[in-house]
Order: sequence, then structure tokens, then C-alpha cells
Amino acid sequence: MAVAVAAFTVIADEAPAGNPLAGEPGAVAAGEALFSSMNCDGCHGGGGSGWVGPSLADGRWRFGGDADALFHSIANGRPHGMPAYGELLPENSIWQLVSYLQQLRAPFGVPTRHWP
Amino acid sequence: MTEIRDSYPISESHPMPGKTATAIRFREIGLLSPIFLVGLLLGAGEVQAGAGEEWTQPGGDMAGTRYSELAEITPENAGKLRMVWNFSTGVLGGHEGQPLVVDDTLYVVTPWPNVLYAFDLTQEDYPLRFKYRPDANPAAIGIACCDAVNRGAVHADGKIVYNLLDGRTVAVDAKTGQELWKTTVADLASGETLTMAPLVAGNRVLVGPSGGEFGIRGSLKALDLETGAIVWQMRNLGPDTGMGVKQETFKPSYPPAPNAGTDTWAEESWERGGAPVWGWLSYDPALDLVYYGTGNPGPYNAEQRLGDNKWSASVMARKPGDGSLVWAYQFTPFDNWDYDATAENILVDLEIDGRVRKALVHFDKNGFAYALDRATGEVLVAEPYVPVNWATGVDKTTGRPLVVPEKLTGKSHGLVKNICPTLEGGKGPSAPAAWSPRTKLFYVPTLNLCMDWQSADAIYVKGTPYVGATIPYHPGAGPHLGGFMAWDAAAGRKKWEVNERFPVWSGSLVTAGDVAFYGTLDGWFKAIDANTGKPLWKFKVGSGVIGAPISYRGPDGRQYIAVYSGIGGDWSLVAGDVNSADPADVRPPTDFAPDLARYTSQGGMVWVFAL
Repeated sequence: MAVAVAAFTVIADEAPAGNPLAGEPGAVAAGEALFSSMNCDGCHGGGGSGWVGPSLADGRWRFGGDADALFHSIANGRPHGMPAYGELLPENSIWQLVSYLQQLRAPFGVPTRHWP
Repeated sequence: MTEIRDSYPISESHPMPGKTATAIRFREIGLLSPIFLVGLLLGAGEVQAGAGEEWTQPGGDMAGTRYSELAEITPENAGKLRMVWNFSTGVLGGHEGQPLVVDDTLYVVTPWPNVLYAFDLTQEDYPLRFKYRPDANPAAIGIACCDAVNRGAVHADGKIVYNLLDGRTVAVDAKTGQELWKTTVADLASGETLTMAPLVAGNRVLVGPSGGEFGIRGSLKALDLETGAIVWQMRNLGPDTGMGVKQETFKPSYPPAPNAGTDTWAEESWERGGAPVWGWLSYDPALDLVYYGTGNPGPYNAEQRLGDNKWSASVMARKPGDGSLVWAYQFTPFDNWDYDATAENILVDLEIDGRVRKALVHFDKNGFAYALDRATGEVLVAEPYVPVNWATGVDKTTGRPLVVPEKLTGKSHGLVKNICPTLEGGKGPSAPAAWSPRTKLFYVPTLNLCMDWQSADAIYVKGTPYVGATIPYHPGAGPHLGGFMAWDAAAGRKKWEVNERFPVWSGSLVTAGDVAFYGTLDGWFKAIDANTGKPLWKFKVGSGVIGAPISYRGPDGRQYIAVYSGIGGDWSLVAGDVNSADPADVRPPTDFAPDLARYTSQGGMVWVFAL
């Protein structure tokens, strides 16, 4: 395998407020590709629907779901297993992941409230 | 190092009953039992099958039979079984594995944070003798691929020995709960965790790491039982020298070229090729061989590791003294389907084609049931025990499966549809089978699921998942997603199967009373007739069962059955919304079993039953 991973250092406090890629064509698709290639789905499941890591597609967040909170979670990690990717991904890639996560839509209603 | 407050006696004033009472009973009853006499008659070298009055090993005995010599519970009276005691462990994770019973004490190890409870069976309510609470590292939770499970402890030389998810093996004084030693054997930073149950062979404690989804380089380590010091480490892949492969001692039935552990991997992919050790070990004292299965090669995208990928998805036979490899056999060369071979290897003597063979029986994830010659690794029997479509059979002259090319995966294959069985296996490796010397049958939990597979390039980032595939499941043919099967391993044939609505992920127990026990994901614990499969009794235990039942004789002389409930492992992950403890994590019902979360939720408990 010859996939280079560039090393970058991200200091979240200095990251710009809001997602600079918001509305940019291609950002969501690029984020979706990263979600798989960086093995985010290894913990959060395909489509971010949850595995050993929590669902990212239910509209609920432990550490906040706005763009800056998501950037912080990815760049610096969170307790109970979320690694810090700030030294592995450039800022632009993290914002692409944020773009992907923010467009995931929670299933209609609370899916386990009723069974058919 | 002993940690302050890790362990404390619950009642120091209560004297520990010594070994005496149980030991006398064992001498009086156990050694005179028909099974023991049969063992004597069969002579030296026989692997004696079965647990007696106590349950001291994960698999009941060194051979991993999960057979109990106790015969008080029978098909005639099993309907009168009743629950006599239960206890909530206070831990939500999946409760795999089994308790131990030694000296009238019931030992329970929880999933992370790996608390050890010791219950006093001589007193009403079974109050705790002690509770040992290790300083388990919470970072381990994020490094465990498939829930923070633990598959149990082993008792040897007055010690309870078990693994912490965070990579350490501990020995605790079985009477006092005092920590005796604690040794780091797995590297969390590299994606290694510990979920397996250790095996003790002589004065060696044998352990190996999980992490096949994290790009680890799998290994087995031997620790000194007395001190915890690491005596040797042998890799499951890599150069021959690191694997204990020596020309004078390595004599497999299907010999590979030298350095197969590197040369059957593209480029340097073996360095992060997986082959973890998260299942069960067994030991034949006559041959002085320890057997264990290795897990999947990584990443799942097989085109990043072209070649046979030895010795992933294999069984290894090693000398416990120095770790040297005597033989190895690869069930699934170039595994494209996450078919870990970490399932139990049950050591029994079988009559095959008119000859009594020292066999090793293994129900692989890949859907084939194998009987190997446990001295050489030769394939004696290999037949599908569930619907299999990735291979048409196993060529016994080469030992290799006959692979269906259309079912190969890898990025260039795109979406490959309908592969049976799934990566959960025809049987889950964490759900061990049992064997009865009376019926000569194996009792096997099964899954009836198939999968689609789409690979993608995976990038290796140390200590994070290294997978590269999306793998949805769907039901196999028929209305049932699982079952509990009686299997004739000598003939390679199913005798009967009880269908279950959901995949069966619990371990098995069979007793000298000819009763078999198992649990279901929707939370039933069941007894069936070991000869016919006829249902005898069931009890709702509150959460899905993924643990393995045991049997023992209590201080009052009666036969007891114990089991954990507590859905988890992969099944809390795929079942949908079965964890209500995190308001920020709500999941839809799983598409292949949408009703499962309707019947179960997480919650760990220990249950004890008797007539």
C-alpha cells in the first residue's frame, strides 16, 4: 500500500470559527471518502450509524454538533476512545469531514419509539 | 505491584472454607464416576474429557469439551429447574465467557472495567468473599473492535488469572482477592487489547492480543504462573525466527516454503497483518501441545495483502515450554471474508474410517467443521455445517478450500453480493461448542446469515481501525436466523438442529445427564435433550445471552447451572437500539433482524439454576 499520510499539526483554538467549506461543492463527497479511508467507519459504522463508537447520524451529540465542536472532536479527540486526528489530517480535510457529518440526516422521528 | 484499594475483603470475619470439603467430595464422587473410570481404562495419553465437581477452566477442561460429569439434571426432571440466585454485575458491556467455581466460590469477571467478583456459595444469598477492581484504562474501550468484552478467567495453583482489556494479565489470590502480579502483555498504542481467556499449561500462562481490525501483528505470549514474568513470545506471522519455526521441530502436514510468514504477504504487509488471538486455547498434556486459532488478516481489503497471509486464519500447535511451533494449518488461505479461526479447538478421540484418531475439532467462521489429527494437523474431515457458498469444499490432499472465484472480494471486485456465511461466522468463535463422550456429538450454536462486501483502500494509522470494507448482512435461506445443532464430527454430518428466531451466540454446555444448555439473543436460557433436541425448559433472563453456561456441584451436594446474560459483542453493535445509557446515541433497528431490539436490551447479570 502506498498511500501517503501527510502530517500536520492543528491547534483547535486557532481554527477559524465556522466551516470555511460550508456550501462548497465536493466537500461532502470528499468528507465521505475520508470517513471510509481514515477508518472512521471502523468505529462509527458505515454511514456513521454507530458501532463501538456512537452514532453520528442521529442528530444527537455528546460534545456538540456545530461545526467548531465537530472540528475540535476530530482534531483533538475525545474521552473514551476518539483519537486526535489533528496531526494526521490537514485542516481542509477535517472541514471536509465536518461537511459530511453535518449533512447526515437523522432518521425520521426516533426510530425505536415504535415497531411496525 | 499490589494496588491499594484494588481489592478488599467483603467480610474478613468469615473464614474461607478451605479446599477440604470440596476436595473430599471430589475424591469420593468425582474419581469414582463412570467417566473417570472410562478415562482410566482408555489409558495414558487420553485427553480426559469433562469438568467434575468444579469448573476451573474456561472450557471446563484442558480439552475444551464443556462437558460436565454431573448427572442429577436429566431430560426427565429438567422441566423442574428453577432460578435460585442472580446478581447484576453493574456493567453494561457484552457478557461473554463463563464463571468459574472453585472451593465453593463462584468467580465472575465482567467486561471492561474487568471487575472480579468472588461469591461465597456456602452462605445464603451468596455474599461476596471479595471484589477485585483493577485500575482498568478507559482508553482501551476505543481500541476494542467489537465491544469491551472478556471471555473469562482460569484457576491454577490457588490463583485466578485473567486479562484486562487494557493489555494486562493479572493473577489474584483465589482466597483473599490480593493481587499477586500484573503484567503488560499487549500494547494499547498499537491497537492491541486483551479479551481472551488465558490457558495454563504446567507453569505457563498463555495469552494473546485482540486487534485484527487495528493492524496489529498477532502473537502468543507465555508468562510464568508464579511471577507473571514473560517467558517467551511467538508471532503468528513474520519471519520464521520470530514465529518459533525451526526445521527440526516444525513438521506440518502441509509444509509451506520457508518464511511463509513474510513471503505469503505482499511487500511488508505482514507487519500490520493482524492474526490476533482472541478465542480459546486447549492443551493436550500427552502430546504437550497447546492449540489456538489465529484471527483474520488485515486490512479487510484483501488486495492490500495479496498472498496466502500465513498464519492468519489458522490453528497453531506449539510446545508450551519454549513456544516452538510444531505444526500449523490454515483454514482460510488469503482470507477475503474476515473468517477468523479463533474458535475453540476441542480435543477428542474420534473413530474415523474405522480408526480411532486423536482429533482436534473446530467449527470455523468459514462454515466448515474440521476434524484434524492433533498430532500433525492433517485434515481428516472437513464438511460444511451451515450453508457455504465461498468454497465448494476442502481438498484433503492439499488442505486447501476450493474457492469460488465470484465470491472473492477486494477493491477491484466492487460490490460482491451474497456471500455465505457472514463474517460473524457459521458459528461465532466467542460462542464455544460442547462435546459429550456419551452421545459422541458436538453441540453447536449456529447463525443463518449472509453478507455483501465492498472493499476500499484502508490507510494505516497506528492505534486506529484498519479495515477498508463495508459489509451489510442479510438473512440466509429460511425463516430462522440461527439454531442449535448436534453434529457428528467423525461423519461430518448434522444429526439435528433446533431452529431459533435470532442468531445463536451463546456458548454450549452438555452434561452427563444428557441435557444440553444454551441461550438466545432474545434472552431465553434453554435446556434441551442432548439425544433428540427436544426442548425441556426455558427461562427468560432479561437480556440476550452471549456467555457460556457451566455446571458445578454446590456445597449442598446438588448440581447447579450458571450462565451470564447481557447482550453485547457484535450483537449490541448490530442489534440497533439496545443501549439506553447514552442519550446521544440512538440507533434504528438493524435491517436484517429488525425485531431484535424489541426483545432485549443491554444489562449484565449472573444466573444460577437448580432443580
